[in-house]
Amino acid sequence: MEGGKVLDRQAAMAEALRDGRSHFKFVPENWRTVLRSMLAALLGVAIVIVIWWSIAELMIYWRGAVFPTPPETFSRLWEALSGANIMGDSIFAHAQASLARWGVGYLLALVIGLLLGVTFGTINRLHDVGMVPIFIIQMIPGLAWIPVAMLVFGLGESATVFIILVTALPPIVINTAGGIRQVPPVFNRVAKMSGQGGASLFLKVLIPSASLSIINGMRLGLANGWRVLIAAEMVVGVAVGLGYSIFQSRYNLDFEAAFVCIIVICLVGLTIEKLLFVVLENKVRDRLGLDRED
Amino acid sequence: MLASLQNVSKVFLDPRHGRGLVALNDVTLDVEEGEFLCLIGPSGCGKSTTLNLLAGFESPTLGKVHFKGGLVTKPSPKRGVVFQEFSLYPWMSVLENVSFSIQGIGDREEREAKAMEYLRLVGLADFSHARPNDLSGGMKQRVAIARTLAMDPDLLLMDEPFGSLDEQTRRKLDNEVLGLWKREGKTVVFVTHCIDEALILGTRVVLMSASPGRINKEWRIDAPWPRDLASPKMMSLKEQMIRHLQVCQCANNAPNVRFVEIDGLTEKDDGKG
Ligand SMILES: Nc1ncnc2c1ncn2[C@@H]1O[C@H](COP(=O)(O)OP(=O)(O)OP(=O)(O)O)[C@@H](O)[C@H]1O
Ligand SMILES: [Mg+2]
Repeated sequence: MEGGKVLDRQAAMAEALRDGRSHFKFVPENWRTVLRSMLAALLGVAIVIVIWWSIAELMIYWRGAVFPTPPETFSRLWEALSGANIMGDSIFAHAQASLARWGVGYLLALVIGLLLGVTFGTINRLHDVGMVPIFIIQMIPGLAWIPVAMLVFGLGESATVFIILVTALPPIVINTAGGIRQVPPVFNRVAKMSGQGGASLFLKVLIPSASLSIINGMRLGLANGWRVLIAAEMVVGVAVGLGYSIFQSRYNLDFEAAFVCIIVICLVGLTIEKLLFVVLENKVRDRLGLDRED
Repeated sequence: MLASLQNVSKVFLDPRHGRGLVALNDVTLDVEEGEFLCLIGPSGCGKSTTLNLLAGFESPTLGKVHFKGGLVTKPSPKRGVVFQEFSLYPWMSVLENVSFSIQGIGDREEREAKAMEYLRLVGLADFSHARPNDLSGGMKQRVAIARTLAMDPDLLLMDEPFGSLDEQTRRKLDNEVLGLWKREGKTVVFVTHCIDEALILGTRVVLMSASPGRINKEWRIDAPWPRDLASPKMMSLKEQMIRHLQVCQCANNAPNVRFVEIDGLTEKDDGKG
């Protein structure tokens, strides 16, 4: 009798698991959250467009300025995406050129930033001295690097890459070092007790333990590097790039083109951030045995 | 004698106040080979510090720490620790956690086989691929014990391993540890603040007191296991221990601590004691 009941209950449990009713994150709930966040995003975008449009109309009315309105800009964006040239090149060529510069600058920032961060994070004495220049660099706005870049590299790609590198670097160093310094002492002790140090301690303990913080730094660095694009491409000297186009628009008064480039910069930036980092972060959270953030 | 603290004092620097906090004051303790030594005492009396000194994580400010005739200068797999706090790597599976501690031994397969053997010993073979965060508190501590045992240490240092568990689970795990100790013939130093636990387990119980941390009294217990806490002998031991704890715990609940002024190195009370 009792045995029969238990079996019944087990069958019921198995069934509940099968159709997902007993899970915390069951499907309808998930759907609703996705829908809600999409609605929120749409609403946010709508607010931006409303504000933009009002300002545009006000400027046109008061100052007679040729302020691009959202419909004008989006139709121009559509044209550009269908192949029309902006500042002598297709929008794709501009985006590609910008992405390439940013990619090189960011990769350099990653390599240097991770090395410095790990060094400062593990060696206390270097940390106190080494972080000072990093904090100073972090306080210097992107535009202020232009004279430095031009003095060191002259006009050209290297100057652009340098500006991207130098703005992407500080958050990577700061968060990597901070993450490693915050590794619970007991994690270190476990490794030392079992007679391990060096590479094994680094790769298997320190880096994984600090990985969320490191990714956060990489993410901030990525955003910094992408946002500084306009400043960085002022010194590029070659007539291609999203930032370059925005900068040039003030000479030929093609502000629509500038707005199109701004939108593309935002979209590309957001896409990289969401695609790359949200995925990466969820993977790492999973590895760390933490719950996903959603 | 397997390990010893000889007139050990441990002062933690507190640079902000320009003084040192005396965690241990002139502690001498011998750990005999094969014994099950229980350290009891109120929170903050330096039990973890004593264990950390024996493990080699901390170095004594004064005095010497010996292990097997040599000076202890750094941690070693010969002195395995089960930590008071959660200490498993959450990014590794249970099996990886255990085999990580025997990194130096053989190849990967050998390590995993050995890790499995110890997981079986603590009854967690079925959970070898689980993540630590998916285990209950008691299971986590059992993994930590398996990890430390796999290193095959001569001295097993356990810092309130079951302090956060319920009474029933704790009793059960206490018995498991006791079984392991008898079978493997290891020497154990077991920290607890629970008198009952010390009475059930120890061949010797050392009572420490706070402000500053020092050894207050010790008892040898030669009763066989399983022990009956309701027996007259155990009752009287327990009574003595409680009395001693009360005497040295002062009126104040917060652990009183003594400070050392760093520049003059003069010792003085902070007024509370
Ligand atoms: N790394 C440290 N830095 C500074 N002070 C410390 C450090 N470790 C311990 N102490 C101090 O030394 C004293 C003894 O600490 P310890 O951790 O040894 O106590 P305990 O007996 O293990 O207490 P509990 O039962 O709460 O674990 C405490 O006053 C504590 O604040
Ligand atoms: Mg402790």
